Amino acid sequence: MTAYLIRRVLQGLLVILISAVATYVMLSFAPGGPMAGLRQTQQGNRVRITEEDIARIRASFELDLTVPIRFSRWLIGAPTGPLVIGGKEYFADMVVGCRKPLEAEVLNSSGKYETVTVGCKEVVYLKDIVGRRTSRGILFGDFGLSWKILRDRPVSTLLESRLSKTLQLIGLETILSLLIGIPLGIYSAVKQYSTFDYIFTTLAFMGSAMPSFFFGLLLILLFSILPKSAGFMYIPAGLSESVRDYVIPVIGKVVAGSAKDRTLHLILPVTVLTLINIAGWSRFIRASMLDVLRQDYVRTARAKGLSQNVVILKHALRNALIPFVTIVVFTIPGLFSGAIITESIFAWPGMGRLYIIALSEYDYPVAMAIFFILAVLTVIATLLRDVLYTIVDPRIRLS
Amino acid sequence: MLRNRMFFVLSLLVLASMILTACGGTPTAAPVATEAPVATEAPVATEAPADAPASFTTPHPVLGDLKVRQALAYCTNKIDLVKGAYNNSLSDEQAAGLVMNTFIPTAHWAYAGDANITIYSYDVEKGKALLDEAGWTLQEGADFRTNANGDELAIKFTTTSAAFRQTWAAIWESQMADCGIRVVRLHAPSGWWFGDTTGLARRDFELGAFAWVGQADPGGQTLYACDQIPTPENGWAGQNSMGWCNQLASDNIKKANNTLIKDERIAAYTIVQQEFTKDVPSIPLFNRTDTFASAADLTGFAPTPGESYYMYNIGTWEKAGADTIVIGYTQEPASLYTLVESGFSAVAADYLLAPAFTTSLNYDFQAVYIKQLPTLENGGTLNNDVEVKEGDKAMDASGNPVTIAAGMQVINSAGETVEFPAGGTVTMKQLVSTFEVVDGLKWQDGEPVVAADFELSKSISCDPESGATTFITCDKTADTTFTDSGYTQTWIPGVQDPLYFIPVWGIYPSHQVLADGRTLKDVPAKEWTTLPEIAEKPLSYGPYILTEWVKGQSMTFEANPNWVFGAPKTPKIVISMITAESAEALLLQGEVDILDSTTLVGLPETLAAAAAEGKIKTFINPSATWEHIDIALFVR
Repeated sequence: MTAYLIRRVLQGLLVILISAVATYVMLSFAPGGPMAGLRQTQQGNRVRITEEDIARIRASFELDLTVPIRFSRWLIGAPTGPLVIGGKEYFADMVVGCRKPLEAEVLNSSGKYETVTVGCKEVVYLKDIVGRRTSRGILFGDFGLSWKILRDRPVSTLLESRLSKTLQLIGLETILSLLIGIPLGIYSAVKQYSTFDYIFTTLAFMGSAMPSFFFGLLLILLFSILPKSAGFMYIPAGLSESVRDYVIPVIGKVVAGSAKDRTLHLILPVTVLTLINIAGWSRFIRASMLDVLRQDYVRTARAKGLSQNVVILKHALRNALIPFVTIVVFTIPGLFSGAIITESIFAWPGMGRLYIIALSEYDYPVAMAIFFILAVLTVIATLLRDVLYTIVDPRIRLS
Repeated sequence: MLRNRMFFVLSLLVLASMILTACGGTPTAAPVATEAPVATEAPVATEAPADAPASFTTPHPVLGDLKVRQALAYCTNKIDLVKGAYNNSLSDEQAAGLVMNTFIPTAHWAYAGDANITIYSYDVEKGKALLDEAGWTLQEGADFRTNANGDELAIKFTTTSAAFRQTWAAIWESQMADCGIRVVRLHAPSGWWFGDTTGLARRDFELGAFAWVGQADPGGQTLYACDQIPTPENGWAGQNSMGWCNQLASDNIKKANNTLIKDERIAAYTIVQQEFTKDVPSIPLFNRTDTFASAADLTGFAPTPGESYYMYNIGTWEKAGADTIVIGYTQEPASLYTLVESGFSAVAADYLLAPAFTTSLNYDFQAVYIKQLPTLENGGTLNNDVEVKEGDKAMDASGNPVTIAAGMQVINSAGETVEFPAGGTVTMKQLVSTFEVVDGLKWQDGEPVVAADFELSKSISCDPESGATTFITCDKTADTTFTDSGYTQTWIPGVQDPLYFIPVWGIYPSHQVLADGRTLKDVPAKEWTTLPEIAEKPLSYGPYILTEWVKGQSMTFEANPNWVFGAPKTPKIVISMITAESAEALLLQGEVDILDSTTLVGLPETLAAAAAEGKIKTFINPSATWEHIDIALFVR
């Protein structure tokens, strides 16, 4: 078991490294980027962007360095300059990038002009990057500085600001989904082809098929806008807390920022996510349970005269839950990544929104930090799943 | 098995990142992304192939014909376009108020006036007649016109894929079809259309639609002058991507941009607009709208055309019975260090702490934190004649700050372009403006604004380590002298900027002691972007003080007791970070009091209905941003 775990951890580290390389390279070569639109800011002679300005700004984003050097600085915070051994510098004149690319216009095969980089007017040597600011490296817990969203301030500050709200929302939704979804799935399986089962299956299908943005807007309309305009009790439509105190019929005065206020603001987004999750998970449990209930050992248990509850909860459920472990452990990355659409509908300040903003604003340090943490969590979840299998299914032995 | 699992996990990650990368690759149609690039020079050296023939000299086979261009203009029903673009939420009158006739909005001080230009009112019959004259006739039973060779009248139309443009472009396509013109629409990613080396920047279009952002000063020199036509030979310098060269218009657009007397500028702009509407190198369509919505009981809130920052009068806002006003923002400011962060949300939020010294309501300028706009007329600015010799810094005739050498082209004090003589001198004009802030201007801690504060602003703005994007103002400055009430700005000879009366330096609290014990004036410029005292909680001289900023949620401002104009009417302002999807519900529910034009693209039905019932107020102003269709007059 120990050897297995060590091997899996090492493999996990390799997976994380490969995923980091893959995502970093892809982001590096994606269209757009922080320089996009820079020339669009020029306005005649009042705002003039010179070649030197562009070179300086490229350098501030490290875009003048080659991708491997940038990646290395992002990952481990090195190199920060020439290698110094015994007071002597090595590799000082190694070319690590290009400060001013040389471009030329060429006519391509379709007869259109195309700008291509044909050389470099001014290269960057390793010795030139001495004194440049750099993070200590993401492997050492330093996510670097945000390019856009929190300009030049730590990415970790941004992540921290969204993490607690994301955990609140997704954590609560996950717990509720488990508490409601599992019993519903079991009951539906046990009562297969009953009226309840038909209703449940129909609703579950609808829940699975319902897009969260539509569901969210529907709930806002039904439980927020319409009742408020009619003077009835309503639920806040968005944000994680109010700015001002307010009064809701029946509930009374709600102090902005109080526990009551925050709870009220959680209701709609948690409901949307929970209902959608319940729909999916309970159907999964139902199917899994139906498979198990048809097994010989369940029939044997019944033949032994065990009560229905014991047969279902002790013999059937434990085996039905085995494949469900996979689904549950993969909620772990979800706890961090948040729910993009639901957060947008309800203006919830969570990680999902941050994720989307980071990509659309080309804030790659933030995006890469999220990718990296998700990769780590996914690897952990995978490992945890395998370990959990051995607990819920004694037939499985890790070696 | 394990290998399979690893492969599965890795595949998932790679797939997710590919999808997300793809999502991030194409900029959304945010207002900034839809603005046109404004390039005066190619910052990166590029060269045309040595063996290539002179490019863009062949008139476009279809659009090179004036009659066709005029027909396009006559066949365009601008009122229907603007109404369609805004989902028919505008009345005929509102729509008519948004229609553009030239490159200057009708309400602008530089607009030539309807009587002085050619106006192409919607007239299908006139359009058809012009096409017939041009040799494009409609054969019996045909939907589209053809010429004598049987070629169909089909023109490629390129624009972005923004939903807004897809809407009006579809309407325009059908309007053209009514005249027998086939428009082949290409909705390209804005990253390509506005790319530095693609689309518009390389004149890769026949008809091309995008938006310009109008300003209080109309500018236009880089758009309509003959020497601003981008070609491979000049490194694609300039923005005249139509290739329009009308010498009269070209001379006058330069005159308008290099003359300081307003009446002379108006006259020059009038000539340019006359020629522009005669030649039809571009079809101006309509101003977009700036739509705002506010709580019904909010008073003082008055967004005004020409002034982007609607909080210019925030000190007068009031909401009945409330001590707090909540503004909904869909984009959180990245930093309040506006020297490096010039996004709208950042500058708008900073306006509560460090408002601009002037406003530009209704496309004109007003002094607010300075005693007056120092104009030539009121004596606040002098335009002196000075002798310039080799080695001096001055503007060359192309508008670049240079160290003068023999043979350079410069503009002398008589306004003539002359070659600088070896060993000689040239008399040039030199502007000297004195800016004085209003009496009693103080920081939130009660400290008065002093000369060192102005000086710090200039030194940081001109420090290459500051993170600023451009230093053109610094390069054009000969000297600045500071006093406790302001500064005197002396430009290098040859600077004749029509906006000379707008302050160029702000103020920073040089006395401020930072958390680490240092004084702000002693902190190197390269550290400023990361300083919390600058980026997150700058000292205020405006109506409010920033008391709390919860990232991702809200910014809370409280009244500044030392504001020079007395106490603001509402003690507290909160900027709440919302999403576009939640905005309407939050306004209707009273969670926010104001939604601005960065959130509202047009007026949604729900808000229109709520406004009709008196539950909220709405404001639909002509935006400074205007849509138009550029016409390629030449092909490669």
